[in-house]
Amino acid sequence: MAIEVLIFYLLAGVAIAAAAGVVLARNPVHSAVSLVLSFVNVAAIYVMLRAEFLAVAQIIVYTGAIIVLVLFVLMLVQQQDLPEFHGGRPLRRAVGFLLGLALLAEVAAAILTRSLRGAPGSWTPEAVAAVGGNIQAIGRELYSVYMLPIQATALLLLAATIGALFLARPELIEERLAIARRLFTISLAHPRGVDPLQPVAELPAPQDGQLKLAGGDRALVMARSAEEFTEQPAWGEIRR
Amino acid sequence: MSELTTAHFLFLSAALFIIGMVGVLTRRNVLIIFMCVELMLNAVNVSFIGFAWEQNALTGQIFALFVIAVAAAEAVIGLGIVMALSRRLDTVDIDEVRQLRE
Amino acid sequence: MDWEALIISYLFGFVLLNVLLLLMAYMTWFERRLVAFFQDRIGPNRTGPFGLLQPIADAVKLISKEDIVPANADRLIFLVAPLLSFVLAPLGALVVPFGESITLFGRQINLYVIDINVAALYFLAVGSMGVYGIILGGYASGNRYSLLGALRSTAQVISYELVLGLSLVGIFILTGSLSLVEILRAQQRTLVLGGLELPNWFILSQPLAFVLFLIAAVAETNRAPFDLPEAETELIAGYFTEYSGFRFSFYFLAEYINMIVVSLIAATLFLGGIDGPFADGIWWLAAKAFIFLFFYVWLRATLPRFRYDQLMGLAWKVLLPLALINIGMTGLVRLWGIGAL
Repeated sequence: MAIEVLIFYLLAGVAIAAAAGVVLARNPVHSAVSLVLSFVNVAAIYVMLRAEFLAVAQIIVYTGAIIVLVLFVLMLVQQQDLPEFHGGRPLRRAVGFLLGLALLAEVAAAILTRSLRGAPGSWTPEAVAAVGGNIQAIGRELYSVYMLPIQATALLLLAATIGALFLARPELIEERLAIARRLFTISLAHPRGVDPLQPVAELPAPQDGQLKLAGGDRALVMARSAEEFTEQPAWGEIRR
Repeated sequence: MSELTTAHFLFLSAALFIIGMVGVLTRRNVLIIFMCVELMLNAVNVSFIGFAWEQNALTGQIFALFVIAVAAAEAVIGLGIVMALSRRLDTVDIDEVRQLRE
Repeated sequence: MDWEALIISYLFGFVLLNVLLLLMAYMTWFERRLVAFFQDRIGPNRTGPFGLLQPIADAVKLISKEDIVPANADRLIFLVAPLLSFVLAPLGALVVPFGESITLFGRQINLYVIDINVAALYFLAVGSMGVYGIILGGYASGNRYSLLGALRSTAQVISYELVLGLSLVGIFILTGSLSLVEILRAQQRTLVLGGLELPNWFILSQPLAFVLFLIAAVAETNRAPFDLPEAETELIAGYFTEYSGFRFSFYFLAEYINMIVVSLIAATLFLGGIDGPFADGIWWLAAKAFIFLFFYVWLRATLPRFRYDQLMGLAWKVLLPLALINIGMTGLVRLWGIGAL
């Protein structure tokens, strides 16, 4: 057996095992680490397929940026919010695995009986070497034949950036206040006149049930004003 | 099979894709579902690059490049939504997110 | 497959990694002595002549310390994370060219481990993987301060890596290649500027990119004044608070190896690498890298730490636009053929 095949089996085996780890791991951080392992092995397989630029792009974009962002979000989300593994839904689990097996059988049949082959392209290894290498060849192709798609991709990325800015914008003070009112009881020492959202005249007088004293399972938060409470970045902390 | 053929890469691609799909179908954590979607996109890239290698064409590689760019855009939006979810609803459990149904 | 060339490459890489380890040990000694002089102290001078055996004493001390794993740590990740940092740090050096090739025992031996088509991107990729050691270490410690340090570091490294990558694009435009060997060859030509013969080093044609690279490289290696992830006074050492013994030393050593690798890359990309007056050779590369290392220590001894919002603001609002302007201008120059660089 050729050494390339051995290397391929090693890389592919680790990639598949790590991918299974993503699905099976109980802790989402372990899933993310497995995913990184899988992506790195797949990148190595790209090198075997003469796609050096994509291998590096895969590592920089996927493992260096996307999964790091996932880890970032995982750590920002409160750990107690993370749902338990599968959470007792055996039917869904069984159906998922069955569908997976069915698809695997189908795809295997398709691969093994494949008869269609496209016309071979002009970028033989020699042609790629003639323009300087994989990255130069991709550059030539990308900025001539695929000029319009790459402009569209630029537009897509811009739109995604704007969308992310909108989604992750600092919450409006009223939203934060609403969340805080749902989670805690805020005791405002001077409710009248200091709330920036409502003019003094429109501010309703505190009624029963609107401002609760500490009791039950709700925490009491002392603050001089709604602003003072909500302007803290880590408002989830209960300050006394 | 003593030599590398396209079938090797197609099987790898299929295996990764199906593992990702099973993950999407069975897990409840939005972030893990998100990671499984990335896994599926990546599996498709393996196919593309495998075909590019077989056909001596760069089209597959360039397609994979676009997939990576789209995945990055998707990651940005997807994670933004997850953050918004966890802020509004205090959960990242996909089964808890059913405000539109109730 | 050319097995002999492969084995020679492996051997060269092995030697290079060992030399890096040795250099890194003496980098710690060098930094302590130099910072001491900056602060009008003497520094370690007791162990051996001029304190030269201090790194060995430090190593023995660190290895003999107890390896503590906190009770609420994520055990597996906690144990692996420092190794990850340490293993990834020297990999960037594998693409640095130390010369063209020499003939030894009738065989041509390349003075670089590997010349790959995407060498500069490979360096960036390895750097981007390095952040995992930090974020996983911080997470696995099960400690608020560590987690905060890890989050800060992640945001910092991602932001500055963007600047680092974009600052190099000008060079790629001018050379038409990402291979460090090609970039080195491009710099060995001479640049005639108004009758003056200058070396075609990219620090002359890309001065803005050089400054951006320098700043981003300091931030990328988490060194002062960008050492927020390990800010002692506010985060109690950040992501490695809970680490002790040799696992702590792995983080410590990874930082120094990163410094050396970044210095070598910077010297190769901007200062002409092995190119120099009289005779080209590895000594020029060593001297140039040494300047960068000295600069690192100098910064640490001189500048106070940035505030966190200043750090992120600098990356996104100042450095990134400058890098984009640099790319645009270089592209225009290349398009109109000014100077025919």
